[in-house]
Amino acid sequence: MIVLYAIFLQKMQVDAIEQVTEATPELITMVNEWLVAGLLSMMAVTTTLGAFAIAVRDMESKATADFLTAPISRATIQISYVLNAFIIGCLFSLVALIGCEIFIVSTGGELLSFSALIKVIGILLLSVFLASVFNMFLVLFVSTQNAFSTLSTIVGTVLGFLCGVYVPVGVLPGFAQQLIMYFPISHTTLLLRNAFMESSIANVFGGVPAEHMESYKLNYGIIYELNGHTVSLTTSYIIILITIVLLALLSIIIFKKKNH
Amino acid sequence: MTFAIQVDHLQKHYGEHLAVRGISFKVEQGSLFAFLGANGAGKSTTIEILCTLLQKSSGTVTINGYTLDDKSHNAKIRKSIGVVFQQSLLDERLTVRENILHRGKTYGLSKAQLTKNYQFVSTYLHLDDIELQKYGTLSGGQKRRADIARALIHRPQILFLDEPTTGLDPQTRQFVWQAIKQLQAETNMTVFLTTHYMEEAAVAHQVIVLKQGRIVAEGTPDALKTKYAYDQMALVFHDRSLGLKWLKENTLPYTEKLGIFYVRVSSTLTALTLLKSAEPLLASFEVMKGTMDDVFIHIMAQGDGTNGSND
Repeated sequence: MIVLYAIFLQKMQVDAIEQVTEATPELITMVNEWLVAGLLSMMAVTTTLGAFAIAVRDMESKATADFLTAPISRATIQISYVLNAFIIGCLFSLVALIGCEIFIVSTGGELLSFSALIKVIGILLLSVFLASVFNMFLVLFVSTQNAFSTLSTIVGTVLGFLCGVYVPVGVLPGFAQQLIMYFPISHTTLLLRNAFMESSIANVFGGVPAEHMESYKLNYGIIYELNGHTVSLTTSYIIILITIVLLALLSIIIFKKKNH
Repeated sequence: MTFAIQVDHLQKHYGEHLAVRGISFKVEQGSLFAFLGANGAGKSTTIEILCTLLQKSSGTVTINGYTLDDKSHNAKIRKSIGVVFQQSLLDERLTVRENILHRGKTYGLSKAQLTKNYQFVSTYLHLDDIELQKYGTLSGGQKRRADIARALIHRPQILFLDEPTTGLDPQTRQFVWQAIKQLQAETNMTVFLTTHYMEEAAVAHQVIVLKQGRIVAEGTPDALKTKYAYDQMALVFHDRSLGLKWLKENTLPYTEKLGIFYVRVSSTLTALTLLKSAEPLLASFEVMKGTMDDVFIHIMAQGDGTNGSND
């Protein structure tokens, strides 16, 4: 997947930046870091969604009924499925992170510093948690494995656009940009980009006017600007946490309603 | 008399469609209760309500003294019941032992209690030969034994069996029933059964027949057989014309198939009297007792003109 990203997206970005600054190995590294940040945020969603196949299979085969007649709360059953997805999502994301680091180093970049690595891992865990709750909510509306396959295809496709991974946010029309900025999962992409690219952006845009760097950050979804105001990273964290709480509550209510 | 289950005017509707139409019944503690009905009669809906899987629309249900749908009571009801579903629902990749112990943990049992209970159910259901096998590799009959063991691991007071022997060979069915009856006799457990095999219902203490969401017959198997079934003689005469003459003289209605005359009688004693008088004319005979099959077919054949229902 990294190779596909590199082939289709890397050159487009490098060409665009070359118009304002010189193409250097640091530039390639920066673009690669942008790519892997998007890839990792998407993987958090797709891997956890895959883990929810068990929940759908249990529902379709009525295996859930066996748990529902046991003296455990509906919330516990729900949380078990989320926990399962979270653990699987974490494992895959960490493996993917190692793969991404190998890719960056093999293309001339440097390993993340220890503090940046801790930050990236923290954001990844948060992303996986958000994705687990988000997918649990989606799966509540699916009752067959066929429908689940369709859902997975749709999520996998739409996600790339809604997180500004396939196409940079800046090239989209205004309403699409707003849609992305209001989409909570895209904030995990933004946070990962910031964590990954902090030093490489400084290196690449070191000798050019600050407005070029700001323009790049806006166009490539490294910062969001909503209604003329820049969305701070703290706001992104808050959006993610509120979404987790809201979706978890909604999911438990819906699951309880569906399963007495 | 103590009742394990008390159902009063239970109703369940899906939108405007009434699946269960105000049924009431009581199940005596320690009894084997058979709940019969054709597909779509409302059996599964009722069982799902009793097992806390489905919310009732109205009516009251008490299980082991706990009121269904009372928030604090539902967990207690779940602790006191075991359910064997129509489908096999354990994890295909775990062994029988792992499956049963894993599900047992959901009842909050200590490790020691769980091991003790496992030994108990294993003895009754002869799990020794399959306990280390993966559930997915078992035959239908072996899976059923594991399913029943899973339902019993917390030693419930009521065991719900939703068509437990469907698809099993006669030998396995017999084994399953022996185990259940032995357990019931020794532990005073109440068994609530739905089945399509009428011979299984024939050994129940009480039977209810459901049709289109309503109870259309209830009582002991004997009482139902007396009311809805009939005994029958199958007679083969040495001489057909003499046989016909005897039937006419005794004003006995009959049907004839392949030279065999089928004659309904009110009881086996009546049959005995008639057979004595016909003895010189008979080449062979058979007296057939009324069965639960007859009861079921008779009841199902009675139309009541109401709408169908979900099951």
